[in-house]
Amino acid sequence: MAGENVYGRGIAQLKIANEIRAHQRAWMAETRERVKQGEPFAICNGDEFEEIFNIMDIPVIVINYYNMIIMVKGMGGYYRNILEEHGYEDGDWLAYGLATTLDDNPEKAPWGGLPKPAIIVGGTKEDKGLKILEIWAKEYGCTFFPLEFCMDPIPEKPIPRPGWYDKIYDQWDEFYDSDRLDLRVKEVEALIAHLEVTTGKTFSIAKLNRSIELFNEQMEYWEKADELIAYTRPCPVSWRDSQAVHQAKWHRGTVKGRDFLKAYYEEVKERIDKGEGVVPEEKVRLLGFFPNPPAFSQYLAEKYAAVFIGPTNSSAHCYRRKILNNDPIRTLAARQMAFSFSTPDVDMRYAKKQKVDGVIEDASMPQLSHEETCETEDIPFLKLSKDVGEAENRAMLDEFMKEVLSRKN
Amino acid sequence: MEAFDSLSKHYRQRDTAAREWKENGGKVIGYFCDSVPEELILAAGFFPVRISGDPWDNTEIARKHFLPRSKNREDFVHSMLNRLLTGEYDFLDHLVIPHARDTIRRLYVLMVELKESDPEFKLPELHFLDVLHTPFFSSSVYNRLQKLDFKKVLEQWSGSEITNDSISKAITITNENKMLLKKVAELRASDPCRISGVEALQLIGSSMFMLKEEHNKLLKQYLTQAVKKSYSDRVRVFMAGSPLDNLQLYEILESSGVMVVAEDNCWGNRYSDIPIDTTLEPLEAVIDRYHNKSPCNRMYPMSRRIDYCIQNALAARAQGVIFNTYKNDAAEALETPAKRKALEEKGIPSLYLKNQPYLINEPEKIKTGVSEFVKEIKGK
Repeated sequence: MAGENVYGRGIAQLKIANEIRAHQRAWMAETRERVKQGEPFAICNGDEFEEIFNIMDIPVIVINYYNMIIMVKGMGGYYRNILEEHGYEDGDWLAYGLATTLDDNPEKAPWGGLPKPAIIVGGTKEDKGLKILEIWAKEYGCTFFPLEFCMDPIPEKPIPRPGWYDKIYDQWDEFYDSDRLDLRVKEVEALIAHLEVTTGKTFSIAKLNRSIELFNEQMEYWEKADELIAYTRPCPVSWRDSQAVHQAKWHRGTVKGRDFLKAYYEEVKERIDKGEGVVPEEKVRLLGFFPNPPAFSQYLAEKYAAVFIGPTNSSAHCYRRKILNNDPIRTLAARQMAFSFSTPDVDMRYAKKQKVDGVIEDASMPQLSHEETCETEDIPFLKLSKDVGEAENRAMLDEFMKEVLSRKN
Repeated sequence: MEAFDSLSKHYRQRDTAAREWKENGGKVIGYFCDSVPEELILAAGFFPVRISGDPWDNTEIARKHFLPRSKNREDFVHSMLNRLLTGEYDFLDHLVIPHARDTIRRLYVLMVELKESDPEFKLPELHFLDVLHTPFFSSSVYNRLQKLDFKKVLEQWSGSEITNDSISKAITITNENKMLLKKVAELRASDPCRISGVEALQLIGSSMFMLKEEHNKLLKQYLTQAVKKSYSDRVRVFMAGSPLDNLQLYEILESSGVMVVAEDNCWGNRYSDIPIDTTLEPLEAVIDRYHNKSPCNRMYPMSRRIDYCIQNALAARAQGVIFNTYKNDAAEALETPAKRKALEEKGIPSLYLKNQPYLINEPEKIKTGVSEFVKEIKGK
């Protein structure tokens, strides 16, 4: 019966996804214990500085990751209310971690809440992000180390040249403004110096070289797995599982982080060899731009044998950086000053690679719409608004699927 | 015409002086926010004019192009963008977009793209002026490089070198302007208050749309008359929150029993409260002033912003503070609880008008809230 074996219900979760989840819980328990013993713990902004903390053996959690866990667990509403109770009416997901601290209710918070950090390191990807981190550090009574340029698109070159994503690994120096990169290098060095003085731990270039190497390998495994998924029908990995594996990305530049992705790649391969799929009779593959797999994924799977994949893996190839000019600090700085990866051209590259039959987008997502690029690439596109009721959404989905199927046939 | 009427006319008809300048063969540079050094633009021989919005304008074209990129203070930013896209600023030769709030920065990216994809918009030549968020020395080094680069760009645009002498002359003019506007601030802060908030916004704002020498001349005339006025029957309030480039809110507030005696706003006192240090080498003094100017809400640390609000509210002898934040102005909204708490500790009550639209469509609701706030203050 189709309903029993659709959208991942008939397929076991990835072993590696469960391993990663278990590891994260154990890691947090261990970190909590280390903090109890007086060791430092750090919170840092997304895509920034994990390598430095990992090299210095300072446990670190990335804010986006913790916020995402809150969101995936459906606790966003609860923490938005907490924020509002404290006068922060915006309720932005960036502030969910702050909300757990304001709430001071470890039994409610994912993983029993975070241990008290010694430092929060933050960037200026958005004005509000800087503010949230500063407020959070004040609530914790810990150091706040503000930074400039987090994943900031390069204003001097607002339109990266076509195909930039294929050159960013070994020609990254062409894409960055040197003044901005100089400043970032200074910031990296200042953070290292601060951590050395305040924690007594030390940093080493040799370890950084190794870290960059491991990180590049980690991303390669991710991309290799992605290649397999793209060329295989039926799709062997559910959107939710790929999200779970995404967690391993936050162990940047470590053996563990690399090995998780290696195991993921091997398990995907194994599944393909066995012919296992999320929707065994997959007829349609769709790419969705939603924060989480939407509830209607199940409907599409049952009615149209459609697999809905998320954009989680679309940018793995954009993260890798080859060490240029024997300068690993500058290379690290260049990775941190990444492009804003969720750009329509990167996403369309992924859509084409996956040979998706259509793209569905959540109108409320704060990103550039994919409508224009889909039109250029002649990929059917649908934008769904949360304001539209479920029945109307279904009607729009059915209408959209008619178009998708007619183009396939 | 009385001096105030002339200044008010320029506040309301913001393109008049720039168009006249242009008709006489001069060139005009538009700029966003208060972080672009007007002194360098003046020293290069251009007419600087600050870009502003209009709450009553249609913003359809801007929404079509910009909405997906950012909802941050969308009405205000859309209004400015729409005016640029619909030819309201067709007299601009160049446009400087600083790295101010997120949405302003994104405007630059959008306009570069539009210049390529839709040349019918006829946008002026653009320059992005990067400005960092922290007051640290490392940031000042970077900001300095950006200002030096900006000077070079101005020299290219004008075709002549900007000399120290020309910068000094510009500083003399803008410092005089700041000094006169400081007198305006003092007369507002005096007891009784001599200049209303509605008047003050026009006195300050017109400086951003006029020739500075002309503004100074009119302001001097106005100040000799202002001392004779008195607004003693209102509750004195300090205004904080999102940028206010128009009179709508102050008119509503000042018809509801309060007098705005000072504000934390880049269209108000914050525009002119820090002069340029004339004991320093002129170019470096300009660079230093813009790095150390009174902070807007994108800047770190928040403590500077809280101090600015408290100190200036106290200095203006405000009996209460009103916060007005636009819808989706997250950076401002995130600061507000800490500021209100700090005010409470000083015994200063506050009123929070949150999630406000750029065009106020429910003035009665605000009036009711303010009237209750007035009663609360008077009852203390």
